[in-house]
This record gives sequence, structure tokens and C-alpha cells, in this order.
Amino acid sequence: MEVTTRLTWNDENHLRKLLGNVSLSLLYKSSVHGGSIEDMVERCSRQGCTITMAYIDYNMIVAFMLGNYINLHESSTEPNDSLWFSLQKKNDTTEIETLLLNTAPKIIDEQLVCRLSKTDIFIICRDNKIYLDKMITRNLKLRFYGHRQYLECEVFRVEGIKDNLDDIKRIIKAREHRNRLLADIRDYRPYADLVSEIRILLVGPVGSGKSSFFNSVKSIFHGHVTGQAVVGSDITSITERYRIYSVKDGKNGKSLPFMLCDTMGLDGAEGAGLCMDDIPHILKGCMPDRYQFNSRKPITPEHSTFITSPSLKDRIHCVAYVLDINSIDNLYSKMLAKVKQVHKEVLNCGIAYVALLTKVDDCSEVLQDNFLNMSRSMTSQSRVMNVHKMLGIPISNILMVGNYASDLELDPMKDILILSALRQMLRAADDFLEDLPLEETGAIERALQPCI
Amino acid sequence: MAVTTRLTWLHEKILQNHFGGKRLSLLYKGSVHGFRNGVLLDRCCNQGPTLTVIYSEDHIIGAYAEESYQEGKYASIILFALQDTKISEWKLGLCTPETLFCCDVTKYNSPTNFQIDGRNRKVIMDLKTMENLGLAQNCTISIQDYEVFRCEDSLDERKIKGVIELRKSLLSALRTYEPYGSLVQQIRILLLGPIGAGKSSFFNSVRSVFQGHVTHQALVGTNTTGISEKYRTYSIRDGKDGKYLPFILCDSLGLSEKEGGLCRDDIFYILNGNIRDRYQFNPMESIKLNHHDYIDSPSLKDRIHCVAFVFDASSIQYFSSQMIVKIKRIRRELVNAGVVHVALLTHVDSMDLITKGDLIEIERCEPVRSKLEEVQRKLGFALSDISVVSNYSSEWELDPVKDVLILSALRRMLWAADDFLEDLPFEQIGNLREEIINCAQGKK
Repeated sequence: MEVTTRLTWNDENHLRKLLGNVSLSLLYKSSVHGGSIEDMVERCSRQGCTITMAYIDYNMIVAFMLGNYINLHESSTEPNDSLWFSLQKKNDTTEIETLLLNTAPKIIDEQLVCRLSKTDIFIICRDNKIYLDKMITRNLKLRFYGHRQYLECEVFRVEGIKDNLDDIKRIIKAREHRNRLLADIRDYRPYADLVSEIRILLVGPVGSGKSSFFNSVKSIFHGHVTGQAVVGSDITSITERYRIYSVKDGKNGKSLPFMLCDTMGLDGAEGAGLCMDDIPHILKGCMPDRYQFNSRKPITPEHSTFITSPSLKDRIHCVAYVLDINSIDNLYSKMLAKVKQVHKEVLNCGIAYVALLTKVDDCSEVLQDNFLNMSRSMTSQSRVMNVHKMLGIPISNILMVGNYASDLELDPMKDILILSALRQMLRAADDFLEDLPLEETGAIERALQPCI
Repeated sequence: MAVTTRLTWLHEKILQNHFGGKRLSLLYKGSVHGFRNGVLLDRCCNQGPTLTVIYSEDHIIGAYAEESYQEGKYASIILFALQDTKISEWKLGLCTPETLFCCDVTKYNSPTNFQIDGRNRKVIMDLKTMENLGLAQNCTISIQDYEVFRCEDSLDERKIKGVIELRKSLLSALRTYEPYGSLVQQIRILLLGPIGAGKSSFFNSVRSVFQGHVTHQALVGTNTTGISEKYRTYSIRDGKDGKYLPFILCDSLGLSEKEGGLCRDDIFYILNGNIRDRYQFNPMESIKLNHHDYIDSPSLKDRIHCVAFVFDASSIQYFSSQMIVKIKRIRRELVNAGVVHVALLTHVDSMDLITKGDLIEIERCEPVRSKLEEVQRKLGFALSDISVVSNYSSEWELDPVKDVLILSALRRMLWAADDFLEDLPFEQIGNLREEIINCAQGKK
């Protein structure tokens, strides 16, 4: 007879995604290999990273993940990282709760005991019984504690992961942090409600990833990889129109409090790429959505859709210089001159600005372990220092992202970089709004009064 | 230490396919767990069918046990030798695990055809067995490593059940799908691609899924000039007498690097919604504005909302540079027109070594993955915009695994169409609302 898991294929896929697209190999099954702890340990020790899964009933699984399984011949009582989780089926969906602990599993009286600072929180007993402490029950949102009969116990090896659970811990924490960032941005309101949406201008060399950044932002809020702004691999820029993209919070959701403005790419050659004389018009808010750029001639006030009297909401509130991180050291002097020319106009208008370095290969190295700040190794590397010197941008406003052009699914680590960058842009825009001369904010207030 | 197999993807696949489409789960590895066969049997007994793979300096050989190893119990053993991409096998016959793994001290020196001696790190084999496995005479097999795998069906009952559930939820999502903002009732998806890529076949497959059995409304041919010479817009019913589904698949003349394919100007007219169903294409010239199949004031519902480029997975490597240039030029025009587009790879099951069990996790297969990267590299599509399907061709009845691929691809197209609708200029939406108001007033 074949030995197969009782885990459903659906739940297996949920677990694999939770853990970062791993593979699971069944090593032990209590109903086949014997119910004793010795039988379990005999097959599961020295297999690398494992998950021990207890099927409580048809709708509930309690499981824990160890970097290395316990061994009968080692009497180690040192606490080790473990990931605990529950899978519970509710109304055709599977809910997963996770918990990171530092426990010391060991074998006592033919029982597998997990101890947390002198308290036994989890025991696999004889006779297919399990014991759960109240703390575990509460954190995993289970419906029982104490002793309970279980249906089956299985142990899997997890492939595609290291023995220590550092990667897993990082993924779990990343997902939590990502969700907090999402909530922050959804709840964001521009300084003093001077405008309802912050306008962020994406400007940079051809192929640096401006449109990809918009697609990545939209993908995060939609929950799957999308491609509204078309990106390509052609040698000349694909973006030839000015686009003002609003981002919805999910399909049919409300608009988020920012817009991303996409431009034609900069080109080092004269008369190619974005026309430099278009920059002031874009910054002031005179450029209409979908304007077809002309590399040789800027828009004029006579253009049929030119916005002759832009208000604060039409203006650009933050500029993001989008640069391919792999090309910074090779920026031609002509391209650099153009970027500086744009920067000069931005400074004249007093607009907030950041740099956005794209196509970062290893997103997990950009941030510190708690995701709150950029890591020193990133901020001190030569490419970041180059941007800092070239454009005079504060290092805290030099942001780094990967993008989703080469991915099939969302990745919480990439999401964190993208959302953190977006949040920094919104913070910079707030600084800009707060710093506006009184006559401009006064004008807004006067414009608001007749409505009351 | 990582417990992973030494097998390459290719060798693992060859073994999987040879022994009946098995998924291999590593249970024991000599270089990690020790070359002690007693411990090996402790871990590997009662695990169902197993495959033992032995790595020597020059060879990969092994034994397949059709039943669980159990102490003292005979199991039917098949030996194999894997050389490059060829596998030879030899039925050893009945054998106890103790004998096979030299654990039975009393029988250690008894004559036997094949034994795995872990302690001494060698394989004991007689000449006849060597000959039957195609191994050179008098070669000694010293063991560098050995691994024991449990064999599970790639497509077991559990996975089939999961696939059926996934199919059910996809069907439900597509039946209840509403285009973004309800701007149109049906999304129009244009299938575009080289002749013979499987465009009409994809439409037939989609229709089959919703009909409940394999159908052939759009004629499919195998001649080199292609059969689809008319423009067709296919609405699809949900079941035999069901209501229409919220999408329409539009089929056109295939692309050709020479003169016989779809006329370039006609693509613009199709996108704009100017061409009526069943228009007979002329490869030499585009539709005339006074043609009775020309619609001179198309509305949003007549337009194409998403373009799906359809490519045969096994033909991409043979694309001529003219075809690549042509596709890229069309893509550029789609970009300028603001039309979103995705890519669809068909005939994925005809690729080397791919079996039905692989279709469940098709994007994990290395040959498919490298094919996706080839499309990305040559034609510029993002990986997230490429779907992989296996169309129905010779079957009569539906297969839930194929259905899931087809429905997933369709859902991706509808997501892309939502992006298109969301990005429409306000004046077009405004016009549509005026139309709706006029219709409402007209009905009063």
C-alpha cells in the first residue's frame, strides 16, 4: 500500500506559499509507522528542517516547525527557534495563524514535550493524545486547550529552506510588517488636507523602471501581479505619453490618496527622450493626462488641453528620480547633466524629491532585520553614495526597490520595499506642503470658504 | 545540513516517468544518515513503494521495490541503470530487504544476483545482472552515496480532489465575473498569433470547459496556411442552454512573416471594433470603409479590451527574425493604442518529458520555466503576463487538470482587461454613461 499524507492538496499549497514556496516530503505517519515517540524520532531525526503536524479533527491542524528534529541520543535542553501554526477550515476557506517561539523540545517519559521557560506548552502523549497550553491556544486562535485526542500525526521534511529558521522568521515578520505598511498608506491623509491626493512624479532614464514601479504598486493593492502601464524591452522608451495614474484599493475599491505620474524616459542625446522644457510645465501641473510627448518641442499654453490655471492639487508634490541601481556607476555625463537639469527645476519650485533605485536583486538585504530602517551595508555602498553626491539627496531619501516584471507571485519582502518607498515619498510630500508659503495655503482656504 | 537529492531535475524526471509517474520523497541519504543498512531499513520500512538510487563514480544504478519493505517479507525488485538519458531495467524478482541490503548475516555469503553492501560501500552483482543492465563487464561499483525515496503517484486521489475544487472555484469566479465598473457587459479578447499556434484550439478548449465535454465550434486544421480566414467573435454559453458568459473570444487570421498573414491595418480596425463578425480577411489589403462588414461608429463594447498572443511552446525557438520583429511591432502599436496584452503558451504537454502530473505545477518544471524566460527574452513579455495551457485536441471528455490551466489563463486575461478599462480616458467613460442614459430614456 502507498503511504500518503492526509493533508489536502489545497492546504499543502497554502503551507508552501506561507513558507516561501518550499517542498514537503512525508517522513512519518503515526497510523502506519507506529504511535510511539521512538518510532517518530527514529525516522525524523537528522532530516534538516521538519514540520510535525497533528490532525485534531477534520477541520483543525496544529503544527510546529523545527530547524532540526530532536534526537534520542542527545539530551539537549537548549531552546531553539520554532514556528507554530494552525490551519482551520471555516466556510470553505483555510485560516492560518502563526507564532514564533523559542522552545526546548525533548522526550520525557515517552512523550514529546515542548517547554517554554519552565512551562510545558505542548505535549504529544501516548495513545494519540495531545496537550495544549492556554498560551498556544490563544495565539493560534484554537477552540480548545488541555488534553485532546488527535486523529493522526505526520512529520514532513521541508526542502528549500535552511536548518535554522532565520529565513522563515524573516518571512513571517515581513508579512506582518507589510500589512502594517499597507494599513498606514490606506489611512494616510495629506498634510492639513490641503489636497486629497499626493501627486508623485516618476522621472528618469529610459528603461530605469518607472512604469514598472507603478505596476508594482498597483499589484500590491490588487493582490496579484498586474500590468496597467505597459513595459517592454525595446531599445527606445515605450512610455511616450504623460500618464497620471490613480491607484484603487483593490478592484472596485476607492482611490488611494496618491497618484503616480509617469513620463517619457530621459535620453542623453540632444533632441531625444523627454524634452527639458516640458519639465516646468509638468511640475506646475499644466501637463494634461495622456499628453503625447515630443522630444524636440515642449507643450505650449496654446495646446488644447493645456491646464492654464493649475491649482495645488494639480501640481507635483514629490519627484522621484528613478534610476536602475546597476547603471548608476555608468551614467553618461550627458544623462547625468539632464538629471541635474531636472533637479535644478525641482529645487526652483521647492518640490520634495527622493531617489528611487530600482532592480535591486536581493531585496532581503536592503533593510535591517526589523524592517524599520535601511541597513548600513546598503546605505554605505558606493552606488548610494554616488547618488547622494551627484544630486545632493539625503541618504534617508534614497530608496531601493525590486519590481515584479520577472515574478509570478507577490513577495512580502518586495512589497515592504515598495510600500516603504511610497511612504517616504508621502512623508516628503507632507514636508513640501507644510513648507508652502502662506499665500498659497491661504488661497486654498479662501477657495474652500465659499463651499461652506 | 541540507538533506537534498543528488539527482538533477532531468534524471529525477526520467526515473519518475519510467516507474509510472511517481513523485519521489527522499527518506534516507547515506552521506547524511550514515552507510548503515540497518538504520536505513529502520527508516525506510513501511513506506510504500520505494526507489533506491546508488551513485558510484561512473554510474547511477538502483532498485525499485513495488511494495513496502517489511522485515523478512519478500518484495518484488526491479533493478535499473541510468546512463545519460537512457534507463535500462532488469527484474530481479522476489527478495527480502535484509538480503538486498546485506543485513542478514547468515546469508551474507550465499549466492545472490544483487546486493547493496553499505558497510563496505560496494554493490555486489553477478555477471548476468551486469550484462542485463547494460553495464561493462568486470566493472566494480563502489558506492559514493545512496538515497532511498518513497514513491507516490504524481496525480494521486488527494491532488485530483484538490484540482477539482480549484476548477470549481475558477468556474464560479468566471461565471460571476463583472467587468470593471460594469462599463461593458462582455470583455472582448482578441487571440493573435502565428498560424498554427492554437488560437482556435484555445477557443474550442474554453467552450469545452463550459459545455462539459469537448466541442469543436471553431474549425481547427493542421495545414500550413491555416484554416481561420474569417474574423469570428465567439460568445460562449454557460452550459448547453445557459446564459452567455461575460467574455467574447475573437479569432482572426494568423500572423505570417511572409505575405499570407493578417494585414497590419486590419489589426487596427479589429482593435477599434470596426470589423463585424465573419468578415472574410484579405491578406493583401485591409477592409474597405464601405464594406458591409465595416462598423463606422463602434462603441466601447465593440472594442477589443485585451489581446492574447498565442504561441506554440515548441515553436518559439524556431521563430524567424521577421516574425519576432512583426510581433514586437504589433506590441508597440498595442501600447500606443492603450490596449493591454498577455501571452499564452499552448501545447505545453508536448514538451519533452512533460506528463499530465506535471501540469498541476507546470511553472515549477524546468523546461517550461526556461520556455517562459525565452518568451520574455525574445518578445519582451513579463513573466507574470505569460500563461501556459494544454488545449483539448484528441480527447472526448474533460480533464480537470487541463481545465484549471485554461480557466487560469482566461482569468488572467480578464484581470488584464480590467486594467484596460480602469485606464480609459474619462471622456470615453462619460460617453458610455450618456449612452446608458439615452437607452434608459428611450425605454421610458
